[in-house]
Amino acid sequence: MNIIEIGGLTKKFGDFAAVDNMSLTLKEGEIFGFLGANGAGKSTTISMIASLLRPTKGEIKFLGKNIAKHAHFAKMNIGIVPQDLAIYEDMTAFENVKFFAGLYGFRGSELKARVEEALSFVGLGDKQKELPKNFSGGMKRRLNIACAIAHRPKLIIMDEPTVGIDPHSRNYILQSVKELNRMGCTILYTSHYMEEVEEICTRIAIVDHGKIIADGTKEQLKAIITDSKEIWIDVKSVEGLNQERLKEIRGVLSVRIEEQRLKIQSRAEIANLNDIVQQLIRDGMEIRAVEEQAPNLETVFLTLTGRNLRD
Amino acid sequence: MNTLHIAKKEIVSALRNKSTFLFMLAFPIALMLILGLALSNAFSGSIEIADVKMAYKIDQASPELAAGWESFAKAAEESGIEIIALPPGQDGKQAVIEAQYAAFADVSDKGIAYYDNSRSTIESNILQGMLTSFADRYNLQAAFASAGLSSQTGDGQAPAQLVKATSLTADSQPNSMDYYAVAMTTMIALYAALNAASLIESERTRHTIVRLSAAPVSKAEIFAGKVLGSTFINAIFLVTVMLISHFAFGANWGDHPVQVLLVLVTEVLMSIGFGLAAGMIFRGKASHSFLLIFIQIASFVGGAYFPVTDFGGFIGTVSYYSPLRWNNAGVIETVFGGDAAPALQAAGYNLAAAIFLLAVCMFLIRRRETI
Repeated sequence: MNIIEIGGLTKKFGDFAAVDNMSLTLKEGEIFGFLGANGAGKSTTISMIASLLRPTKGEIKFLGKNIAKHAHFAKMNIGIVPQDLAIYEDMTAFENVKFFAGLYGFRGSELKARVEEALSFVGLGDKQKELPKNFSGGMKRRLNIACAIAHRPKLIIMDEPTVGIDPHSRNYILQSVKELNRMGCTILYTSHYMEEVEEICTRIAIVDHGKIIADGTKEQLKAIITDSKEIWIDVKSVEGLNQERLKEIRGVLSVRIEEQRLKIQSRAEIANLNDIVQQLIRDGMEIRAVEEQAPNLETVFLTLTGRNLRD
Repeated sequence: MNTLHIAKKEIVSALRNKSTFLFMLAFPIALMLILGLALSNAFSGSIEIADVKMAYKIDQASPELAAGWESFAKAAEESGIEIIALPPGQDGKQAVIEAQYAAFADVSDKGIAYYDNSRSTIESNILQGMLTSFADRYNLQAAFASAGLSSQTGDGQAPAQLVKATSLTADSQPNSMDYYAVAMTTMIALYAALNAASLIESERTRHTIVRLSAAPVSKAEIFAGKVLGSTFINAIFLVTVMLISHFAFGANWGDHPVQVLLVLVTEVLMSIGFGLAAGMIFRGKASHSFLLIFIQIASFVGGAYFPVTDFGGFIGTVSYYSPLRWNNAGVIETVFGGDAAPALQAAGYNLAAAIFLLAVCMFLIRRRETI
């Protein structure tokens, strides 16, 4: 069953369409990755799903019900982990979760049990009485998640939940996301970290200029660009490199320089590696390493949007 | 229920905020103490003066005048003033210059020549007033006598007082501590606007507004919870200030504590409405600056630092629009006049203003997509 159905969704701020006639479905039990550069329209879409913003046009259905008409039902079953930490520094971890879970109508022993469950789930069971100001960045992020899951939502929207934390905490959070999914939650996950999305998401949508330009499993997305390959060449110095001559070589689609590395995107079926290497030698480049890679999500994203995810 | 849940959280947060405690409790109590002690003389109806001595000489006086003077001197001595006859040959004026006496009166049928020492202004004024009174009464008696009338009263005694002045409020004037207990409490109620300005905005800066808006809670419930919690905690602070002022400084809060409390609570509600509206219209630090300026002006012209009579002109007009003026007047008139009506009137003004301001806030919130 579809947990979210979005049809013809548009959100305009003045004349600017942040989300432009978007249509999308999320199935129950998915971990759905939402990829897009800053300003692509991800957060606006998420905000409309979470009833934080009203659509200019179109509709969003949650479990078959229009959320504009059944906002209470949708809100009771959706949890949101905002990108920015949304916790009270002057209240203990327990009080934070208790306050937010209390907004969903839980009281007394049931509320207490749910708060303890949520804190234990994110590994803060032994920090219940501590103030968040004494927490590390990773612990605050985990508390941010606990505040969103104590009411046991069916859909959890996670907006960049791992920004600015150490690898240990990031790994903990990723495992928690998988565990929540195993427990029956559907996850809508946005991240700037492509490897996270590749690791945990079962389906991915790429958003650009307010529209979904591709969606599917990561294999399906990579298949979109099976006709291209990436060639990475390490050189001692890029001084004297003639990029235009490289681009004239048959099959070369683009050339980018990242420090002392050349990233050349080329059509897969054309064997042009010798020509590329010879051109670099003619330009006086000292070649140190050559590597040919199959396309990854980053390549897919770059190919489809023309920009890096973190642009 | 969600309203109470949000209100409870506001109260807990406020109680943990040390700066709120300092500002809402220590600040008014310290000001009350400083102003109450420093300006106590300005509120006092009596002063203590040293023994007053007046010298006199009486020459070429008629028997009536001599008898009248004798009667005056006797009455004055009963009031603690020494009236001393100078021996012949002693210069009364010189004695006054040397500060042996506060004044010297040279009494004769031609009149009373009065000399005083400018260093004893208060004593001199007292004596001058008494002598004027004596002269007026003597002249009146002389006029009665020349017209063949008797100035004697039925019991044969000279009339002690032809005019009796009675202060209508002599027993119910606030002393300085009474006044500043009221003024500081009403002023700190107005300062509730400062915290209120950030009631909603602080949720925005902490990003918790996202969670509140995503929860199954209406904007009205969030708003009502915030207002309720803030009003309650401010009311607790005000009651604490009242109790400390009463038990530690002996401030008089009168016989109508419920009506006085009603004034203060409605003033807090009005201040919260005002602060919320300012926070929504100006946003961020601009709202705090605006409120600080407003509160300072309202406090100055509304009688927070000194009793307001009538400034006159532009400031006089402005002072009537200061919430502190009508709140101070309402509380003081109720506490020291013993009538609850002024307090109820002030509470009515506060409530009307609060309803208007909170309605404006709710209107602004409804227009926004998120609270």
